[in-house]
Amino acid sequence: MARRVGICAVAQTTVEHDKWYERFQGMALEVLEKLREQVAVEFSRHTGKAGIDMSINVSDDVFDARTISDNGMTDVLGAHFGCEEKVAQEGIQAIYYGLAAIQSGHCDQVLIIGHCKESQPKSRNMVSHMAFDPFFTRPVGLDFCAAAGLQAQAYAEKTGITDEQLAKVVVRARENAAKNPYTPEIEPVSAETVMQSEMLADPIRELHAYPVSDGAVGMVLAAEDIAKKMTDRPVWITGVGNCMDSFFFGDRDLASNFALRKAAEWAYKRAGINDPRGAFDLVEISDQYAYQHPMWMEGLGLCEEGKGGDWIDNEGPDKGRVNPSGGMLAGNPLILGGLFRAAEAALQLREDAGNHQIDDVKKALAHGVMGPAGQFHSVVTLERG
Amino acid sequence: MSKPSPDSFVIDGKLALPYQYFAGRTGSRFLISIRDEKKIKGLKCEKCNKVFVPPRQTCERCFADISENWVELENAGTVTGFTIIRYAEPHQPFKPPYILAQIQLDGADTSLTHIVKGVALSQMKTGIRVQAKFAKNPTNSIMDIDHFRPVKPKFELGYSYDDLEIGMSASFTKTITESDVYQFAGISGDFNPMHLNEEFAKMTPFGTRIAHGALPQSLIAPVLGMKLPGLGTVIPEITVRFRKPTYFGDTVTATAEVVEFIEDRRWVKLELTWTNQRDELVAEGHAIAIPPTPMG
Repeated sequence: MARRVGICAVAQTTVEHDKWYERFQGMALEVLEKLREQVAVEFSRHTGKAGIDMSINVSDDVFDARTISDNGMTDVLGAHFGCEEKVAQEGIQAIYYGLAAIQSGHCDQVLIIGHCKESQPKSRNMVSHMAFDPFFTRPVGLDFCAAAGLQAQAYAEKTGITDEQLAKVVVRARENAAKNPYTPEIEPVSAETVMQSEMLADPIRELHAYPVSDGAVGMVLAAEDIAKKMTDRPVWITGVGNCMDSFFFGDRDLASNFALRKAAEWAYKRAGINDPRGAFDLVEISDQYAYQHPMWMEGLGLCEEGKGGDWIDNEGPDKGRVNPSGGMLAGNPLILGGLFRAAEAALQLREDAGNHQIDDVKKALAHGVMGPAGQFHSVVTLERG
Repeated sequence: MSKPSPDSFVIDGKLALPYQYFAGRTGSRFLISIRDEKKIKGLKCEKCNKVFVPPRQTCERCFADISENWVELENAGTVTGFTIIRYAEPHQPFKPPYILAQIQLDGADTSLTHIVKGVALSQMKTGIRVQAKFAKNPTNSIMDIDHFRPVKPKFELGYSYDDLEIGMSASFTKTITESDVYQFAGISGDFNPMHLNEEFAKMTPFGTRIAHGALPQSLIAPVLGMKLPGLGTVIPEITVRFRKPTYFGDTVTATAEVVEFIEDRRWVKLELTWTNQRDELVAEGHAIAIPPTPMG
């Protein structure tokens, strides 16, 4: 059995639609300083002392408009003269990566910091458009919003989910976000306002989409023995799983949740969970669009297949303790969704969530998604130490 | 360099790099066939019995090399999913709103993402049949198919059995002239002087020439065959009782109304009436109709 790995500290900046007053590095530095307030973060590996063995940056070349986007972050990551890595996948993959590095015995301590300013490119749709191939899918104008429209329509046709039910998801997300100090700009909204907001890509409305977001998030991972010395409240990573679906939409069943099912299956297997229902006291999912909230819950096996609409009407999100933070609908950059979710889950497990703390959180699930229409999913299960 | 920035705090930039993407042999063949032959081709994995489009060299399921297994697909297919793009971005091929759809071409097992035009946005739905409209000028990309449009049937067939309802009616009106009667005499060979010779006709109970009975009767044919049920209908039976003569210059209206379903055969019975401009009943009867069955 591989050694256990714990999250020893987590930190995040506020998420705002335009942090014009801060550079990428400034946001990351704020995260680093908050982490150092919680645990000792040493960067003297080159002198032979114990400390951070690997720094992982989560960033995206096109969002940052510079290739090898991590090399502008070396100072903040403390990566001089040491091991520096980059995750350009969904941010939660940095946890998977750090876990693998520690469990392999290669490293004992890993620092993760992710950053993104969606406000700086002219449009985030122009960024995600670049994720498509230039021959078959870019010419028809695809970007992640258009892809989500195709998936939302397929999901709506399969389940019959209504505009009213989708509005409820947004209303609840914003109510929760009002209690979250890291989402200061999110105002509560009425169901009527949601249902009157403009259509972006039917049936997705403007208020069904996560807001344009700037922010940074980070954490410190350590092997069990070190984690126990670093903090008396470690959060153990008990399971991880991920899965990449086909690239072309026509090769996929967009309403099937194929990749998420696989990712969840592997995470549950590693965590020794036979039945996910009732296995978690908290679930943090990356709901970039309102329809994804029930759809991903179905994929995780936490809501009955095809019954996402009923689940919303029957207060499933509250009963299932899903996204008390407000989730991704309250905002965080696309590439950091899962990493923010994992940080939120850790806050809840450590009882550090403040106003939005919920009771008795001992086991939690964090989820990240990347690629058009949920092509790639990542699931991490966590447990209070 | 881009133009100087207005201040020293923010610099305008643009991530733009002239670049050449290689389509690869398989991708090139696919695009050339669309551009030069207006044929859309797929690649078949024999082992998985699956035809893929857009093309790829390798089956993603079993990793078999499928790069030579070209199969010709139809240029028409079925919409399997769609959305309506209403937000504007510079990378879009058309000005929104437009329909982005998944289209499964006949002969393929996977669907292609493309644009559908020619459907009212509110009427768009999955399952409709569409066909490729090719671009006038080559783009060397998938936009050599400019877009897809609904398949227009060659003929608009009439009401099918399931479309018909009791009470539906239709009619046709025409003024019967002397010229009609002479032509009908030629067509039928019925040169009876009661229709053609005014002096003879004066001696008949009608006192003047009248039209052949079958002439106004025939006015029901355009109703049944072209209106109700309409194109594609077969009429195995018509019965008529003549009630009043039709004089030259009379305007006759032939009407059919659906009155009964013959369920076991999926036929319908229609009540027929012929009236003139004096609201007199010229004739009455009924017809049995075999409505058209939908094509394809």
